[in-house]
Amino acid sequence: MIKVSKIFFACLVAVLLVWQIPSLYNTFVAESVSTPFTLYSSVAGRFATLEHDEDKKMQYRDASGREYTEEQFDSILPTFYYRQLITDGRFPDTICGRAVTPRDIQLSNFNMRISPLDLNKPRLGIQQMLESMSGRVDLELPDDVFRITESGLEFVKMSANTIDEAKSASFTRMMQGKGFRFPAYRLSGNPTDRKEYDEGYVMLDAERKLFHVKQTVGRPYVRAIALPEGMIPEHLFITEFPSRKWLCFISDTQGAFWVVERDSYAVRLTGVPRFNPEMESMLIIGNMFDWTVRINRAEEESYYALSAQDYSLVDSLVYSTPSQTLPGLRFTSTKDKFVKPRFVK
Amino acid sequence: MENVIECRNITHYYGKRLIYEDLSFAVPRGRILGLLGKNGTGKTTTINILSGFLQPRSGECLILGEKIGQMNPLTRRKISLLIEGHVQYQFMTIEQIERFYSRFYPNWKREAYYELMSRLKVAPHQRINRMSCGQRSQVALGLILAQDAEVLVLDDFSLGLDPGYRRLFVDYMREYAKAENKTVFLTSHIIQDMERLIDDCIIMDYGKILVQMPVEELLGKFRRYTTQVEADFKLKDTEGIYNPSVIRSSMELFSMLPEEEVKARLAAQGVGNLSVERVGLEDAFIGLTGKY
Amino acid sequence: MIKAIYYKEWIKTRWYCLLALLLSSGFAGYAMMRVARVCSLKGADHLWVVMIQRDAIFVDMLQFVPLFLGLAFAVVQFAPEMHHKSFKLTLHLPIRASKALASMLVFGGAVLLGIFALSLLIMWAYLHTVLAPELWRHIILSTLPWYLAGVAAYLLTSWIALEPTWKRRVLNGVVAVLLLRIYFLAPAPEAYNGFLPLLALVTLMYSLLSMLSLSNFRDGRQD
Repeated sequence: MIKVSKIFFACLVAVLLVWQIPSLYNTFVAESVSTPFTLYSSVAGRFATLEHDEDKKMQYRDASGREYTEEQFDSILPTFYYRQLITDGRFPDTICGRAVTPRDIQLSNFNMRISPLDLNKPRLGIQQMLESMSGRVDLELPDDVFRITESGLEFVKMSANTIDEAKSASFTRMMQGKGFRFPAYRLSGNPTDRKEYDEGYVMLDAERKLFHVKQTVGRPYVRAIALPEGMIPEHLFITEFPSRKWLCFISDTQGAFWVVERDSYAVRLTGVPRFNPEMESMLIIGNMFDWTVRINRAEEESYYALSAQDYSLVDSLVYSTPSQTLPGLRFTSTKDKFVKPRFVK
Repeated sequence: MENVIECRNITHYYGKRLIYEDLSFAVPRGRILGLLGKNGTGKTTTINILSGFLQPRSGECLILGEKIGQMNPLTRRKISLLIEGHVQYQFMTIEQIERFYSRFYPNWKREAYYELMSRLKVAPHQRINRMSCGQRSQVALGLILAQDAEVLVLDDFSLGLDPGYRRLFVDYMREYAKAENKTVFLTSHIIQDMERLIDDCIIMDYGKILVQMPVEELLGKFRRYTTQVEADFKLKDTEGIYNPSVIRSSMELFSMLPEEEVKARLAAQGVGNLSVERVGLEDAFIGLTGKY
Repeated sequence: MIKAIYYKEWIKTRWYCLLALLLSSGFAGYAMMRVARVCSLKGADHLWVVMIQRDAIFVDMLQFVPLFLGLAFAVVQFAPEMHHKSFKLTLHLPIRASKALASMLVFGGAVLLGIFALSLLIMWAYLHTVLAPELWRHIILSTLPWYLAGVAAYLLTSWIALEPTWKRRVLNGVVAVLLLRIYFLAPAPEAYNGFLPLLALVTLMYSLLSMLSLSNFRDGRQD
């Protein structure tokens, strides 16, 4: 008994040391690598960067090494700095040969963040489906929630805590009619009233077929979306950007990144070479000409410039961000919202 | 005679400080043995080893033939333990503590306990932490009587007691142990208490046993000698002569040797005109161990 | 004889047991009253939406209650044993020392678990009437690491209290604080779900540590 206790105590102390020593080192000693702010400029035809030099002065450059003044920098990133350009009275009539208004820029700009934290976390399993054609300007939150069971969609009235059998049956019937096999493998939606319009949910069914499900005038709207041959979707990201051009993004099991266009339901491959949303975070800053896609990986930060027209890869840039942290035991992670012991290199 | 307690070659250190080396002693059945020693000679150490709360560096102790470290727990039914200061569970009442202990001892003598308790001027629902040390000593004694063990180990039973309670405890204990043929090992810092109680004594000095014999034998042999000498006289170390001291011009020394032998040994150093007296246990103890 | 040990532990801790029961249930009850108040003012819909959209669980005030109850339980149970070293009396009982200590820990652990279970029951009793199963399970599961931390605090404090030397007590204290941190790292509700069974097992194994203190006590270790 004493021997077991001693071994147990030694193990505990070892675990605490392997946890605490690297964690203290990483907090107080290890420095994080900073990378310059980087955006693709369709005007300059290359990536443009902004960083502080040693004297804390701003340095504006492009990937060829050419230096810019602050004003010049605004001009080569007109969609990003359009408000500054308007204030300065420098907003151009055309960009890259296209006639533009500030309203065009505003509508077509979007930011999208995808973080492993949003995927790797405990899920409640119930969510809300808004009315996407209420006829009102503002969206309203519904008085029910739904869950997806083994056999269907189930709506629960919140105030009474009871199942809305009629609505559940109508959605389930409609979805089954469109070939949806329960339970759902994934779903993505953005059930908030602080957005301009609602596209409900994109879902993968048990066979990983893609569906668009929303509520229009209290009735189910279900649409099966054809996927390209051999593509197996893994994660879905509903967009609901102001431009209303896209329905969602998809990452597949091979690491490819796809967009689904809203009106045509066309599923189009992007030029992002590889992306694993369970491990890597992504930031897309898009405009009417190009998308700058930043992916943070373990030892590098990659930038990809995509054409906004056909999503093809226009340019890419990689910053090396070598990890300076000590390997050790952690209980939490920047990649998920779970507490569990894991050894991090 | 069968030895109920037997310690062989115990050596113990606290850190690097040697307490004692190769200490051996035995207590035969039915005897009451008192351990005497000045502060720091290892009385409490010995009690702790005997009661299983200290692992000596080397050597072994047996009670009722079992090694203390590996003793069958049930053997402890036959051993009563009195902790220094008559400590008992402070949070219990007289009734609760009796009910608690009675579950552990098949020969539990409830009447013996309550007979003693009836003499205490406390209510049965009074908690022990509300009692005086004297009252607590009676509770502890009552529990020992009720347990009816074969061996009693008592650590400094005089601590905190006024003379009345000390006398009460000593008299009760002596009568009980003798009537029931109990074996007792005890310490106390008040030697007069011991004299009324014990059969045998061990007198310890730093690191060793000075004397181990029946009290009767010790007092029968032990003598104090006094005489007048020059103020700066120093007696040479002489075998059998304990702690000679000179205050002004009176010299005092102790011995267990026959009177003639002592006189002869001192005459060799030019000391004569000795007056001789018998002493009690306390003086014998001081004579053996010195005042400092 | 084990029953007698339970009897002793009961006498020692009964007032604290009552207090802990009242505090634990009281806090749980108070948290539920606050939820009920929100419910009556803004409707159950509001609760559901806040939970779904903002990850709220409404019972964050309970987070450290079990921790303190467990810690105090160990103090109430073992401080009297350490007072004047009366633990020697327990160890002298005709029962194996490890068995005596194990029964003391079983008593404390069982009482604590009972008290905690009642608090969970109080929460469940109200929550399941106004919330969907997913939601009330979400709340209950999120509180489990806190209750486990209560048991851990009890066992670790016992280990520290029984240790006879101050040097090791301080070391044990540092180890205990770090171990207890593990229960409060949740970045989101229900973060412990997968880890909970292993954590519960390790928590129960903390009782082994008290055996080390017992062994030091019996060997007469001193500063």
